Amino acid sequence: MTSVNNLFEFIKGIVPIEDTAIIWVIAVAIPALIVFLVMAVNALIAVYFERKVSAFMQDRLGPMEVGIFGFKGGRKFWGGIGQTLADAIKLLTKEDIIPADADRKVMIFAPFFIFLAPFLTFIALPLYENVVISNFNIGILYILAVSSVGVIGVILAGWASNNKWSVYGAMRAAAQMISYEIPIALSLMLAIIVVGSLQINDIVQWQADNRWFILHSPFAFMAFFIYFVSVVAETNRTPFDIPEAESELVAGWMTEFSGFRWALFFLSEYANMLIVSVVATMVFLGGWLSPVELINIPGFDLPNSVLSILTNSVTGPMWVVLKVVFLIFVMMWFRWTFPRLRVDQLMYLCWKVFIPFALANVVFVSIWELIF
Amino acid sequence: MQDYFKNIIEGVKSLVIGMRASLRHFNNRKELVATLQYPHEKWPIPERNIGFKEEDYNLIRSRLHVDIEDCIGCLQCERACPVDCIKIESIKPPKGSDHDCGITSNDTQKKMIIARFNIDMAECCYCNLCAYPCPEECIYMVGGPNSNKHEMDYEFAKYERDGLMFEFANASDEDILAAGGEKYLEKKKARVDELDNALELVAMAAEKAQQDIDKGVEKSPEAKSDTPEFPKYNFGSLNDIEDKPTRGLAKRAFARGHRLEKDSQTVAEMIKVDLEKAGKYSSDFDGIIKLVGEAPLIIIPEGVEDTKEVVPTKNETVEEMKTETKPNVDAIPDIKLLNDITDKMVRGIAKKAFMSAKRQKLEPQGYVEAIKTALNEADKSIDDISEILKNLVPKNTNDNLEKDETKTEKSITLVVPDIKILNDISDKMARGVAKKAFMSAKREKLDANGYLDKIVEALKEADLSSEENLEIIKKLAN
Repeated sequence: MTSVNNLFEFIKGIVPIEDTAIIWVIAVAIPALIVFLVMAVNALIAVYFERKVSAFMQDRLGPMEVGIFGFKGGRKFWGGIGQTLADAIKLLTKEDIIPADADRKVMIFAPFFIFLAPFLTFIALPLYENVVISNFNIGILYILAVSSVGVIGVILAGWASNNKWSVYGAMRAAAQMISYEIPIALSLMLAIIVVGSLQINDIVQWQADNRWFILHSPFAFMAFFIYFVSVVAETNRTPFDIPEAESELVAGWMTEFSGFRWALFFLSEYANMLIVSVVATMVFLGGWLSPVELINIPGFDLPNSVLSILTNSVTGPMWVVLKVVFLIFVMMWFRWTFPRLRVDQLMYLCWKVFIPFALANVVFVSIWELIF
Repeated sequence: MQDYFKNIIEGVKSLVIGMRASLRHFNNRKELVATLQYPHEKWPIPERNIGFKEEDYNLIRSRLHVDIEDCIGCLQCERACPVDCIKIESIKPPKGSDHDCGITSNDTQKKMIIARFNIDMAECCYCNLCAYPCPEECIYMVGGPNSNKHEMDYEFAKYERDGLMFEFANASDEDILAAGGEKYLEKKKARVDELDNALELVAMAAEKAQQDIDKGVEKSPEAKSDTPEFPKYNFGSLNDIEDKPTRGLAKRAFARGHRLEKDSQTVAEMIKVDLEKAGKYSSDFDGIIKLVGEAPLIIIPEGVEDTKEVVPTKNETVEEMKTETKPNVDAIPDIKLLNDITDKMVRGIAKKAFMSAKRQKLEPQGYVEAIKTALNEADKSIDDISEILKNLVPKNTNDNLEKDETKTEKSITLVVPDIKILNDISDKMARGVAKKAFMSAKREKLDANGYLDKIVEALKEADLSSEENLEIIKKLAN
């Protein structure tokens, strides 16, 4: 809890309030607000990005008409930049419908539960060395643990809707999310085995000292592949979107939700994309390290002056953002390329392919570490 | 085991192929994007290849266009239009003024300026009949054979119907004034004022209605007319049934009973029978069904008398406005009387003087004076037409009214026989002749006996009169 403590001390220094409880509330509220803003802005940008990417992959143009303050964006390709903002306003002003036979309390509560998971996960996500809300020494474990909380919200949402499609969707989502957490955890375990720490700072420091973890060994490369495909499934995106398969289940567990509470689902989905991409960046792709530091060639070291330009508190976050954007782009690329899997295929892929391979990876990486 | 790995490798390969395909589309979006952003971009009109060129078409029914610089204001198109969608108002500069109205592209000197040339494309029936009589060929359908004059316009849809009123006249107020069109401008202004007043009234009426609603005193007539006065079923107690399907069954039985014009008691019986059939009946419903039997089946909507109460201010002001804006038509003598003048030259001069007098809003006597002075200037004698000029004054102011009255009286007293009686005549030839005679008698406004005589005479002439026919014709007189 170092960062919040620092903020607490900082506020205490500049604000002449004696009551420490109030200062604590402020010190907690500011990061919370920042996280919420990050999630909201992320959703706004990612939805626009996704619509454009999907449009271009399907030879369309996507949104072109809505601008911000009269600025419509490019005439030909990057127009319509105000579209998601307009959609968000529409969504927030929509009627909030709760079906008559729904479980009212749970239905009101469920979206916030789902929203809670990514919201809490953001606490442990660094943007740069020590640019993090709270620098846990169990960072990876915390992220894995908290992001699984969302499953409960999904089941609650599906059950509360009192709708067969919602329950089907929730069941599928739960099965899928619980299953795919195993290959994700096993893949991330490789990094923990090698680095010997759960703290994200330490993992990135190891990559700075040696090389990006994706190049640690062939097994780490395979682990990245398994991790990335699994998180696509974990975030319920196509081709793993059977929980909300629109042609079968309307919208799965989101069917009966509308307005603001549906917007929370939306925020969570895109926040989850951001989270898994940040984790992949930190663990496998060198975090805030520049691509120049991909491999450290023995005997050839870049001078420190060059390194400090390539990776400092300004360029470091930039590298993170670029890597994350690329990963999100790949996820969208998946979505608009592959057809949806069947339920049995989904389970086959997880239990019969990814988990055996991930287990083998653990074994081989351990041996690799013993030998080298 | 071998298959397992083979499948995985194949799977990865096919994924890569698929992703490469979508990336190719993403990267080559500039060439591949198929979307046409319709209002901003348009496809070119496709080249037609049906044996002849677009320019060789007789006609393309698109939008009417007027080259207003070429228009001489001859009103031929306005007269030709079968749906009256063309409205033209032209102003002729007074004699002696040196106002130049311009020259058309056919080197015709224009003699008037066009103050108003409106075409309502919402009314236009695209018959192209206006284009043929135009001596200057300045009104035409755009595109097709006329594409050298005006490009094709195949989309002039508008959000408002007003938007389809195309105004071609470009004469400014100064031009109109220079050509002596003060009257036109005044008229235009009056029209605009009238419209403004009307809109104001509408707003006032709406406000008043709103006030009434706010007071809760009376529903405004508009609000009432929204709900049609259909009889409503008096379901009343049936709504107390809690189970939805049962309630539906009961209501259906109720409606059926009403359609069969049964009384309340039988309808109640029918409901009971229906519910029993469906196995939904229980003794709980006894009270409810009994109530149905006692109440009338339909609710008759309340009296309509209240709706007649209109907002009083509306009527008053409308009447006031009417009297204000109505031009003093009675005082204007009839120009048609001048048609009796035999000498063409004299007639032309008289008519011109008449019109100028009309423009100056003179008294009837002033018209006569104006015509007389005009004729004197032209060295024409006024002796021949003095009788006609005399007619011009009193006949219009006094006799006209009397005439009208006598006309209406006549039409009341005259019993026009029914032409259908003539259909009983079996001989086709005789029937035709009889009907022709009937119509001519009607034109001459004869009385019933006159009809009879006329027809009999006509039949005799045509050698077609027979006993049967005469008997039928006699019926006409009764």
